Amino acid sequence: MRVLTTDVVIVGGGAAGCYAALELSKKQIGSVIVCKGLVGKSGASIFAGNLVLGGGLLGNTPEQARNTAEYLVKYHNQFLIDQNWARRCGQWIEKVYYPELEEAGLYFRRDNDGNVVTSPGKVRSIAANVQGNSGVPFMDLRRKQVMKAGIQKIEETAVTSLLRRHDGSVCGVFAIDGMSGEHIALLGRAVILATGYADRLHKRSTGTREMSGDGLAMAWRAGATLVNLEMQWWHTNDVAHPPSWQRMQIYPNPVLGSDGSARMVNAEGTEFFNQQIDDPLAFGPYTVQLKALVKQVRAGKARYDGGYFAGFDNMDPSEVDAYTTYGKPFNQLGIDPGKRLLETAVSAHYRQGGVLVDNTTMRSSVAGLYIAGGLGGHSNGLIALATFDGKTAAGGILADWAKLKPGELPEDEVATEQNRVEALLAMTGPGPSPADIKEKIRGIMWEKVGVEKSAASLTGALEDLGRIRTTMLPTMSVRSRTRTANYEWQDAIDVHNMIDSAELIIHSSIERRESRGPFMRLDYPETDNDSWLAANIMIKTDNGFRFERSRYETPFFEPGFSRRDNLSVAW
Amino acid sequence: MGAGVDARSIGKVENFDGLAAGNRRLAAGDTIRLRIRRSGGDLGEQIRFDSFEIPYQASMRVLDALIHVAEHFAPDLAYRWFCGSKMCGTCAIRMNGREVLACWESVEPEMTLEPLRNLPVVRDLVVDRAPYEARVAAFEPWLVRNQEYAGFPEPLTHKEMKDASKALDCISCMACFSACPVIGLGSLTDFAGPAPLVQLAQTALDTRNDPNKVASALEHAGIFNCVSCYKCEEVCPAKIPIVSQVIEPLKAKTAVLRPALAKHSLTFRAIIAARGRIDPTELVLRVQGIKAILHVARALRLLIAGKINPLRTLFKRRTGADAAARRLLRQKDTGPS
Repeated sequence: MRVLTTDVVIVGGGAAGCYAALELSKKQIGSVIVCKGLVGKSGASIFAGNLVLGGGLLGNTPEQARNTAEYLVKYHNQFLIDQNWARRCGQWIEKVYYPELEEAGLYFRRDNDGNVVTSPGKVRSIAANVQGNSGVPFMDLRRKQVMKAGIQKIEETAVTSLLRRHDGSVCGVFAIDGMSGEHIALLGRAVILATGYADRLHKRSTGTREMSGDGLAMAWRAGATLVNLEMQWWHTNDVAHPPSWQRMQIYPNPVLGSDGSARMVNAEGTEFFNQQIDDPLAFGPYTVQLKALVKQVRAGKARYDGGYFAGFDNMDPSEVDAYTTYGKPFNQLGIDPGKRLLETAVSAHYRQGGVLVDNTTMRSSVAGLYIAGGLGGHSNGLIALATFDGKTAAGGILADWAKLKPGELPEDEVATEQNRVEALLAMTGPGPSPADIKEKIRGIMWEKVGVEKSAASLTGALEDLGRIRTTMLPTMSVRSRTRTANYEWQDAIDVHNMIDSAELIIHSSIERRESRGPFMRLDYPETDNDSWLAANIMIKTDNGFRFERSRYETPFFEPGFSRRDNLSVAW
Repeated sequence: MGAGVDARSIGKVENFDGLAAGNRRLAAGDTIRLRIRRSGGDLGEQIRFDSFEIPYQASMRVLDALIHVAEHFAPDLAYRWFCGSKMCGTCAIRMNGREVLACWESVEPEMTLEPLRNLPVVRDLVVDRAPYEARVAAFEPWLVRNQEYAGFPEPLTHKEMKDASKALDCISCMACFSACPVIGLGSLTDFAGPAPLVQLAQTALDTRNDPNKVASALEHAGIFNCVSCYKCEEVCPAKIPIVSQVIEPLKAKTAVLRPALAKHSLTFRAIIAARGRIDPTELVLRVQGIKAILHVARALRLLIAGKINPLRTLFKRRTGADAAARRLLRQKDTGPS
């Protein structure tokens, strides 16, 4: 086993993890980034298509600035957000974020006259190099900044558990190098978990291959309090075929440099969503779109897994190609984006909820454990917000520095974890392969914890998962004992995290007895601001868990109604 | 890597790629036959091709086929991917002899799948990216500004960023690194290779970068070893014009910033401008200088074979082609880019 000691261990190599490392480095605090995939290449950050303009950036009017804030609070978070945090975040994005990125070299797309190309509308956005692909050069820049700062990164290495001292505080992580199978103990004064917004828990998910709810499962095992896990967000228009393109979106956002954008039609060819007409803030209409689709599905004119279509046949194809990658799936399939639409389907996207944090420090309820980015339960995703979290977490650690003791090796915990992961590699049971179990979990989540759910479907899902836990996990079969690039072994570790995360999400979903934005309960169809404009907090107890509710303040924006059918609410 | 490879044969074998098989119309349920190269791990030194038959599904990609195989037949198959949508650039492999991004390329009825070349194989289809990463790191691929940053948004036009912008489409999948015949020569040259050069171009062709920074990075490029075979462009899934908009502009920059590295090219150009045609004897004499004397035996062989003609080099009358050549070169320098 390799033992490494640093100041701060950062788990995750996306926008949040990288920025936390860079901020710590500026303060002369050492860190190591350990990443299940490749820093700046795996995970959700590369999928950032647009970069949203807030405040007075690039000539934003006060109205546009207010619209951006309103969009974030209402359409992005359904009011389950600290509006004062959103305000601080917006100010930082305006003053620090864009200049920092540009000074480091990020190319915000210009036209030939030197104007930054924006999308029109009530909320505007820009792109790094090309719209639809902004996250790629963005994260490539972060990867190189990390390299320049001399920050050590350990890649294709999966953290399997958080290590704790006797007093319960987190002092490091245990990990397995995916390429060599080597055990690694990484010790530090603090750990920042930055494992992302998304995961692949549903049959169709935007979460990438490596995302198996690890952050959520590990934080919970370490005793962290969770919040709003049920607030699952959905993409309504991801490519239906092939399955590997399930996270490729027919972007509904306004197109850079154009007045047009995508539309959607049902199985009968009738348009049921046109971003320019149906999206009140004309920006990120994901929930608006989803609600439109739910009505189509209920009328038998679409299915959640296909049978409806999206595209740009209402636009001049040259406008689509000018600044975006939006035509790429069409072109690759030999379809003229100006003439035909692509079949689309729903994919589970980000989760608004996650680990409960103090949003001024990103401290979790467990000493030594900090959260940055999507794993936090404080807001839904945007790459700028994840970056802000990286900054805040670094600041939080700095503020707590005197209290944080150097990492130490908890030998008993490490030995237990070593035995656990080695036992998974040695499994020769007669049962299914880990990949097979993953598919079964995703099937259950899709069928019973999908867009529309009820207490009955949710408890049914818990029963199904319980059966997998008791009958399949103990008899799992891993074919190869190799330690070299053994993805099957990784899958065997992943399924445990997946099933734990899935159950936590289901319990939270049962608890929220209302419908809100993308969270739709057939048995509680109304949005209930009297009871549920509140954080749904899940606290670990000696014999399980309990829930608490904490109401959100509405200092700048408020819903303006008590109870209403969720499908009739714009957001 | 590169062992036993003869420079003249490189590139020929690969021309028999799967393009001809093409994407014949496949219907759902049709059989796809795969052969997958297995190595490493439990296999030790052994290399094996495993065959599988799977049913075609709508719009099926090579990655879907790999996932199907791993889920139904070979759970121990090692293949790398993350995003499945041409962004992370980690799933590049060779299909029927050509480099493809597994998530992006359509399946073919018969497919032989192998790992990328020019990189060590970890296991099955997974390669070690470290040699590529080391080359990129040697460039110190970041911006050093020689003027203070003016604040967001700084003055900049797309025209200035045109070439760098193309390079920014790179997803570092290394398809080109595998396809490059010069990289296949291993340590015979110091050529950094197409993928690292695209990474270099992102900042080297960025007008905001300090020319001194660019110059010192170009010293590690070995760029004049590129043979302009266009293999890299052919396989690039991001459709980056690697030769014309990355390597050629980088060569031009090298000629300006570090002319000593571009001696051969600059001399070649000077001879064309002076004579209207290339003269091998003069080229050798001017590039090699006194060292040319070491190659006198070879020169004799070339003379006997009629490949060089020192008399013509010295006494051949000018034809007027030189004026035309100079005009063309001037046009290239000043004409529309």
